[in-house]
Amino acid sequence: MSTTEKTIVISRFDPDQDEAPRKQEYKVPCDPSWKVLDAVNFIKDELDSTVSHRWSCRMAVCGSCGMMVNGEPKLTCKTALDEYGDRVEIEPLANFPVVRDLVVELDGFMHKFESVKPWIKRVKERAEDMENFNEKGTYSQSAEELGQFKQFSMCINCMLCYSACPVVANEPEFLGPAAIALGHRYNLDTRDEGTEERHEIFRGEGTVFSCSYANECSEVCPKGVDPAAAVNQAKFGAVIDWAKGLVLPRAPHAAD
Amino acid sequence: MAGPAHPEAMAPPTPGRTRTAPPQMPSTWWSSPRIRTYLLFDATGIIYFFVGFLAIKIVGQLGEGPIAWQAQMKALENPIYIVFHVISLISVIFVAVRFFRLFPKAQPPAIGPAKPPPGPVIHAGLYVVWLGLTALISLALAGVIL
Repeated sequence: MSTTEKTIVISRFDPDQDEAPRKQEYKVPCDPSWKVLDAVNFIKDELDSTVSHRWSCRMAVCGSCGMMVNGEPKLTCKTALDEYGDRVEIEPLANFPVVRDLVVELDGFMHKFESVKPWIKRVKERAEDMENFNEKGTYSQSAEELGQFKQFSMCINCMLCYSACPVVANEPEFLGPAAIALGHRYNLDTRDEGTEERHEIFRGEGTVFSCSYANECSEVCPKGVDPAAAVNQAKFGAVIDWAKGLVLPRAPHAAD
Repeated sequence: MAGPAHPEAMAPPTPGRTRTAPPQMPSTWWSSPRIRTYLLFDATGIIYFFVGFLAIKIVGQLGEGPIAWQAQMKALENPIYIVFHVISLISVIFVAVRFFRLFPKAQPPAIGPAKPPPGPVIHAGLYVVWLGLTALISLALAGVIL
């Protein structure tokens, strides 16, 4: 199959030399079967080895290769280059500090993830009293119970949702779609007992109520997680939990 | 209200860490139809600001007595007001359609043993209630009922 020459414009930033990111153009002979990532890899391998970008699995599982392609956050290993014209602009994910070229800083994102306590929390002394605690020492869960949160557990942490979110763009401290969706995923898990604690976090500043339900996160999610649904379901849960707390005594928090 | 759960999240880099460029807006962000639609949605807030302002003014005129009220009603016949109200109506329909589309998935999967109806049923229900109330109010304003 014949190749087509495309102009790939890459955002470059060298922290040792550049004041700010700049653009660099490359003429790339593109195969019709290529994904956007293939073009960036070609540039790195054949034209300019100084280009820096992240990638790993090439099958939309690892979540490493998220970049802005013509202004849209995309998982580049999943995005066909043929969808675009002769000129394709590739930039680092929006709303993240840029470490180098197409590589963004992840620290803030990881802090946010950690803050929602994304693990199953149990009240230890009650563990063996649970109805669904079976003889193997595990907690049984029906397919229906799994179905309630499975969708929200499919997130691959690609951060496209943060790049698309207009609230993150205006309020960088906003907890953001993926972290809230993850917290909500554990809240919906029947094995978990940390819901009240997470709802307390969700009621804090810069969390679920900062979301204006733009739905951009769900539009760009490559795995169909629908974080906007999770965030807005979490709003409801956080309010109900707050109202219950006004009339009912609080249970002790589950151990970390 | 609790404080931020993530005070360091996306904070500017501290001295000693790798120097980073601040977050970048994509150079062609405005070209996305989705972003334009969202900006349009956000911009409807400006229209509602003026609708609210006008509503307060009209209520104020009502309190001033029948002469002021009649003068206000006459003023509303001005083409500028009519154009403004047409724009407001279009904007309300735009926001309502968007809200109805997004509302079903924001429902919790279950409240105790109760589960919300399927998304399409909620979606259809919202339209039925909206159109029903609009018809009722229109009939009431036209003097057909009440």
